Amino acid sequence: MQQQTIVLTKATLFKYTLFSIIFAAITLLTIILPAEYNIDPTGIGHAMGLTVFNNSEVEKNVTTSSQKMSEKNKGLAETIDIIVPAHSGVEYKFTMQQHKKLSYLWLTNGSALYFDLHGEPEGDTTGYFESYAIATLNRMEGSFTTPFAGVHGWYWKNTSDTPVTVQLTVKGDFSTHGLK
Amino acid sequence: MPNRLQQYCLLSLTFLFALVLPIEVFAHGVDDNTRAFLAQNTGIQIIPFLYIGAKHMVTGYDHLLFLVGVLFFLYRGRDVLLYVSMFTLGHSLTLLFGVISDIQVNAYLIDAIIGLSVVYKGFDNLGGFKQLFGKSPNAKLAVLIFGLFHGFGLATKLQEFQLPADGLIANLIAFNIGVELGQFTALAFILLMINFWRKHRSFNLFATSTNCLLMSAGFMLMGFQLTGYFIN
Repeated sequence: MQQQTIVLTKATLFKYTLFSIIFAAITLLTIILPAEYNIDPTGIGHAMGLTVFNNSEVEKNVTTSSQKMSEKNKGLAETIDIIVPAHSGVEYKFTMQQHKKLSYLWLTNGSALYFDLHGEPEGDTTGYFESYAIATLNRMEGSFTTPFAGVHGWYWKNTSDTPVTVQLTVKGDFSTHGLK
Repeated sequence: MPNRLQQYCLLSLTFLFALVLPIEVFAHGVDDNTRAFLAQNTGIQIIPFLYIGAKHMVTGYDHLLFLVGVLFFLYRGRDVLLYVSMFTLGHSLTLLFGVISDIQVNAYLIDAIIGLSVVYKGFDNLGGFKQLFGKSPNAKLAVLIFGLFHGFGLATKLQEFQLPADGLIANLIAFNIGVELGQFTALAFILLMINFWRKHRSFNLFATSTNCLLMSAGFMLMGFQLTGYFIN
């Protein structure tokens, strides 16, 4: 069976093909790439406000509102799902004052992850940190009291080929928390 | 006047579709609820997997674009059935094979190839291959090949969830049947609309520009997915 098609001259065919490529390129460069990946070579995407999806401003707003939530819910347990992508590490930290306590329970959806539970002093620029626990586990429960004010939390490293989800439940005296 | 009735039915269907589409269309991604289900699922779950398969097909816009291209000049029921079977064959083979033998292909590359399939079909409908090479490539073979790629893409995405071995084969078959059900549903809508449109003068007037835009959409999909591949 010979498939029916449109019949065009070579010149017209070329014209239509060229148009489809140019149209696709313009749409990609001005709309799709800025919105999807924050790649904005022309600046038009930003001018139209399409880069908001990847804007750090937005993320900040989200943290502020979750911060208010956690202050309101002080003393209540909070559960956070953290996805550790394949072959990479993720830091999740809680901002806490000195001598405050955090109780926690975290578990993965199966595989064990290397982790380093540690704290970094507030205002430190030397990169100093103090580790409270280092191991490779798929579950851990416990608590710690902060030796200094700063950010305290976990670094999880996933060496497998698939993303691992860590479900973290915490209860304690922290002001903000988030990925770092 | 049955024609008038048909027209109303079609209009309301199109309208309904347009209402639902923007919320639910997300190409080959898997939405959060499905993700949660896949991550926690155990044992044989025929109906849920059937549903995920069907939903994947009905809401995948790249696949829908390819179908529009394939069906644009096909109207005999026999031909439609033949093409769908070729696609199903290719798709089922690689999906089952991919998951069972744990083969992972980069999802961005697969989706870029699906974009290429849209470009190919648009160009083919414009008579491009005939004009340049004297004849179109074997369309049935092309559909089979793109079916094979499509199956690999799905296999890769399903494997990301580390599906438990318990009931895996039954779940995969259910998923595959769901894909076919979804495909028939999507096909029915697209056929209905194209066949209706074919009766009007505007079909011929806009056939060229429609296929040109189809090709352009294919290029966009390719650019979008290839960029994703290079930055990740």
